Amino acid sequence: MKDKIRQLEEEARADLVRIDSADAADVFRVAYLGKKGKLTELFKRLGAVPADEKKAVGAELNRVKQWLESAVEGFRQKAPNKGVPDAAFDETLPGIRPPQGSIHLLQQTIREISGIFNRMGFETVEGPEIETEFHNFTALNIPLNHPSRDAFDTFYTTHGQLLRSQTSPVQIRVMKERRPPLKIIAPGRVYRPDTVDASHSFMFHQIEGLMVDDRVTFSDLKGILHLFLRELFGSSTRIRFRPHFFPFTEPSVEVDIQWGKGWLEILGAGNVDPHVFEEVGYDASVVRGLAFGLGVERIAMLRHGINDIRHFYENDLRFLRQFA
Amino acid sequence: MKISTNWLKDFVELAPPLSRIADRLTMAGLEVKQCETLKTPSDTLFEIEITSNRPDWLSHWGVAREIAAVENLSLKNPGVDPETGRMPPPGWEIRIKDAAGCPYYTGVLIEGITETKTPEFIVSRLLACGIRSVHLIVDITNYVLLEVGQPLHAFDADLIRNKEIVVRRPKGGEKFTGINGAEMTLKSEDLVIADRERAIALAGVMGGKDSEITDKTRNVFLESAFFDPGRVRKTSRTHLLSSDASYRFERRVDPEAVDIGRSRALALIQKYGKPRHISAVIKAGEKPQLEVKTVQLKSSDVKQILGVDIKPSQIALILGRLGLEVKQCSGNTPDMAPSKTEQGIWRVGIPSFRPDLTRPVDLVEEIARIYGYENIPETLPPREPLTVGESPRLGLENKVRNFLSNAGLSETVTFSLVSEDGLDPEKDLKHAVQIINPLQHGLHWMRPTLVTSLLNVIQKNVNAANADSVAIFEIANTYSAPDAHKHPVEERICAIAMYGKKAEQTWLDAARSVTFYDLKGAVEAVLRAAGCSEWCVAKAEKSYFSPGVAEELRLWQTPVALMGEVSAVLREQWGLKEPVFYAEISLEKLTEQARRVRTFKEWPKYPAIERDLSLVVKESVKSGDLTGEIRGLGQGLIREVMLFDLFRGKRVPEGYKNLAFRIVYQSAERTLVSGEAQEIHDQIARTLVQKYQASFQT
Repeated sequence: MKDKIRQLEEEARADLVRIDSADAADVFRVAYLGKKGKLTELFKRLGAVPADEKKAVGAELNRVKQWLESAVEGFRQKAPNKGVPDAAFDETLPGIRPPQGSIHLLQQTIREISGIFNRMGFETVEGPEIETEFHNFTALNIPLNHPSRDAFDTFYTTHGQLLRSQTSPVQIRVMKERRPPLKIIAPGRVYRPDTVDASHSFMFHQIEGLMVDDRVTFSDLKGILHLFLRELFGSSTRIRFRPHFFPFTEPSVEVDIQWGKGWLEILGAGNVDPHVFEEVGYDASVVRGLAFGLGVERIAMLRHGINDIRHFYENDLRFLRQFA
Repeated sequence: MKISTNWLKDFVELAPPLSRIADRLTMAGLEVKQCETLKTPSDTLFEIEITSNRPDWLSHWGVAREIAAVENLSLKNPGVDPETGRMPPPGWEIRIKDAAGCPYYTGVLIEGITETKTPEFIVSRLLACGIRSVHLIVDITNYVLLEVGQPLHAFDADLIRNKEIVVRRPKGGEKFTGINGAEMTLKSEDLVIADRERAIALAGVMGGKDSEITDKTRNVFLESAFFDPGRVRKTSRTHLLSSDASYRFERRVDPEAVDIGRSRALALIQKYGKPRHISAVIKAGEKPQLEVKTVQLKSSDVKQILGVDIKPSQIALILGRLGLEVKQCSGNTPDMAPSKTEQGIWRVGIPSFRPDLTRPVDLVEEIARIYGYENIPETLPPREPLTVGESPRLGLENKVRNFLSNAGLSETVTFSLVSEDGLDPEKDLKHAVQIINPLQHGLHWMRPTLVTSLLNVIQKNVNAANADSVAIFEIANTYSAPDAHKHPVEERICAIAMYGKKAEQTWLDAARSVTFYDLKGAVEAVLRAAGCSEWCVAKAEKSYFSPGVAEELRLWQTPVALMGEVSAVLREQWGLKEPVFYAEISLEKLTEQARRVRTFKEWPKYPAIERDLSLVVKESVKSGDLTGEIRGLGQGLIREVMLFDLFRGKRVPEGYKNLAFRIVYQSAERTLVSGEAQEIHDQIARTLVQKYQASFQT
């Protein structure tokens, strides 16, 4: 029985190819599906099939029946052009674009950087943008008379708070809330009263990183940052570690990447200064930490060849959509 | 700062090429930004950038000292030892009335200068560093400032009244005219050098016009002092005055350089000015001492911090090269048998020019610098993720960002600081956070809403980019201080704005304008994406929305989204011709209500029966009320009520509208008989006719 079905299927397939008009389709239908059609005949013989095969054979017959019916229906609809290609079809017409928006390039950059550190086991956390002097300066070992505390370099609110001038206060908040070990990164907006020009803005984005345990060293910092920069800029990226000064790290380092013939500063880092640990109530003789901070705009500008920081905040759709 | 390498050679040997030395300095933390070659006289200039902890590098001698340390060379000192008189000048007196502002002040009287021509090497070196030659005495003070880092000031001694020098705070409203000719009113926290009658210099910042050195000057009073860094900085900032002197004082000069600088200047003045007599030095106050004069260091500190083993002998050598005094501690006496792991303990003496070195870790950094950061190996700590998850808020934020960008909206980043344009001082700004020192005029509010920021973006795109369709969103904070005694509150929101065409016209579809309901649909979709399935709608009001065209969505009584049509007033203010629709979704509140994991629900397997219901009601009847009513009357057999048409006009009388609902009847337990559904359907129709004065009209 099964062979018969298969044979019929093959015959039908051969006949289908030859159908070129609605009439031919009708003849085909009668020949297979009519009262005395070939398939109908097979259905009639279903009763003779042994009971244990009946179900399977019946299903097979139904499948063929459905296929033939839909094939006939298809030919009916196409019948007017009698199998001739549809002249109205124009394969060169443009497709209809589905709606396409975009994620802001700065957010994409934050995602990418955070992603690399997340995979290294750093957890993304956030902190407030309106901060206290303690979190933004004092706890970070920035002396009371330090110029960065001036109203020339930091925005202050009428109630004595300030707009954080760096993402570093998030370090302080997390350390005050939790005990070591810690591995965090903190992206976000920061503010400094810089006059806006092609490379400055009074609001920009930073990503802060912090790792605290009882053994991490400066050589680990080098290893982590080199791995990160290779991930972000490619495995052949050349970098150098240059001594620098930050009040909240000791030793401190600036990391440059080779860019064309020269070097470009890409991030600042260092071992967490013992004063910072004291400010958050950690035992500075036991805990060790490393911290780093980088500017999101700077990295996005370098990677995408953007020459003016203002593009990021003007939100011209012609800019935004380039990075969809 | 520009450094002349010719000048450096006075103190240290420079083995060519100079570019190698520049690199070495950069890699030791004294960054050489640029090398510049001069022809006459032949010289190479280093443009250096100095970190705020190293004011000792703000001079040629200081830079030479660093080169000597890095290159392991010996350092020469500047020539001093002038022949000065034994006696202080008769009648002259220095009094410090503000010891906090000026702990140490010295002066000397130089009489009868005979030569005033500045020697060529001084002129050219000053010029190379960007300073024009003006007068022998002034040139020498500038020269010493650039050479040893000590700012000096020379007064015309004959213009100091009563031979009296007083270091004091200004008197109320005291006026002062600087050598730049500008008159200023002094503040009480300023510090002045005065004679008996008036201020003759703003301490550490600028000399006075009426005591300055001129061509007529024959007798000079030379000042060399230590002024408090904070006070100088404050004065400099208050009066917007900055000078080479204030730049150094505010970063702290080396107290020892007060004497060295003065002696160096006197030696030069004696040689080139040929004065008749130089008095003995008059001193007032005390040289400030370092708070920490010695630091104890163990070689194990170095290993623990840097992660590299550096031999104790090499550590001691490096510290010595930096000009620190290194003494083995008694704990490690020579008669002790040297242990396998060599451990060094030292008492390290800190010189007066390095107040930044107070702790072992500071010395470790010095060792690392000279050892070379590049020679420290790279290692990776064992990779143990401490947490693997992300905060639910950030997770939701990313989901919303993906969803909206895929729905055709572009994400923006706009400034958190806004002006009051478009905002109501009472309703919007009452609890807003204000900045006291805005950068740009007017931008002094931490925005309580993003509506004006997004209006700016729409305006920009319509005007500059000729856009006829703008659909944007931004995820950012809003700020408020409802309680002035508490820290301000920040709330993460997602703001959405739509303007102009809903979709671009294509060859297949016509364009149509965006409506309020496109915005509402997007907001609802965000709620659904967050895992919410039910919410209620309530009317809302905001200063920036058109009256009556605003609503909020609530989850369990908590408003999570607010939306409406931007008022005609604002639209006009921003010059926008078409309606603008704006929404804010609180991601904070939505996170609390969101469901991260959804439970599977089986769908009914029995067939459904669809019936349409088209009726005419007064405009005041709300479609949502009708939907609710229909559901309520469904005896639990209605699976879905969908509004599929809404129209006015034609055969619908003025003040009425025609609503068409498709009702899907379905039971979870059995196959519904069509008569059963019809009976409920008819009952619903009768009730609506009665309760809402609805009529059927098609």
